[in-house]
Amino acid sequence: MGGDEATQQVRRRFNWRRWNNILHRDAGYLVAALTIAYGISGIAVNHVQDWNPNYRITKEILTIDPISSTARDAMIAEALRKISDADSLMSSFRPDAETLQLFFDKKMYTIDVPTGNVLMEVTRPRRVLYEMNQLHLNAPKRYWTYIADLFSLALIVVAITGLFVLKGKNGITGRGAWLTFIGLAVPVLYWVYHVYGG
Amino acid sequence: MMKHARGVLVVLVILMAGALFAAEGKKYGKPLTLKKSVKISEILATPENFNGKKVLVEGPIVDVCKMRGCWIKIGSEKEFESIQFKVEDGVIIFPAEAKGRHATAEGVVSVKTFTKEDLIEQGTKHAKEEGMEFDSSTVKGPKTIVIINGEGAVIK
Repeated sequence: MGGDEATQQVRRRFNWRRWNNILHRDAGYLVAALTIAYGISGIAVNHVQDWNPNYRITKEILTIDPISSTARDAMIAEALRKISDADSLMSSFRPDAETLQLFFDKKMYTIDVPTGNVLMEVTRPRRVLYEMNQLHLNAPKRYWTYIADLFSLALIVVAITGLFVLKGKNGITGRGAWLTFIGLAVPVLYWVYHVYGG
Repeated sequence: MMKHARGVLVVLVILMAGALFAAEGKKYGKPLTLKKSVKISEILATPENFNGKKVLVEGPIVDVCKMRGCWIKIGSEKEFESIQFKVEDGVIIFPAEAKGRHATAEGVVSVKTFTKEDLIEQGTKHAKEEGMEFDSSTVKGPKTIVIINGEGAVIK
């Protein structure tokens, strides 16, 4: 057996690119769903100053007859009668002498006692987006912290193995090098601009 | 028949566990360590006595940070009073639907005096977050604000 033949046999036994691509493919499948969820959530949370990414809050102005009672319990009973909401009252609060707040599940009434003007506010989580944001921001804590760590590690694996999927002019030694460089340069240059020029 | 009985048993166990969880309340942040609660009205009446001290307070949640869930306001047992329970962004996230529920919360009291300019800046920021207008003419002068830097809470 010649030296070249032995080397070829070793190559046949361990083709690192093949295993790299298998790892890239399978890790990619595993992280696909959560990457999309985190991506969508990332855009949503990025614009938190402009909109509420977690809740849809609807406000409605109502008018009832002014509340005449002055004692707290009587005031609440009168307000409940006039609002006639079938849901159960959870709690109430008076932030000042002229305002009464009634809290129901996901709903709040703020009543201007002397005039009877009422602001009804209903707070509902945005379907799916709320859940994605909570997972992205690690609101559940506990075990999700470790799952999210594994997900991040898998993303690193996908990124590194992705660099070596192709060989040749479209691989990391050709076009891939330029695109990888651009991907690195954008955050680095923006950070320099942010610190020294922004 | 046996299969159905087993299924019913599993459902019952899940329901009982859910009921137990609801009765105990949902925990946020670190576990509570103090056993005896302090009245919010007591803290607000003599804040300097509590500045820097760890306290346990209880009451209805009368407001929640809608954007980040980074604070709640807990109503005092005394009329027209509440205290802000502030947590670090992302460490605890209070859900908006906690409003109206009962909180048992532990943290360290912080007493700070803010200038008129600080108050206008804070009011403008808060109003923007809440999607409301802010009238800066309502701010008359420096104000001492008492908050609790939150560590843990249980909400029922």
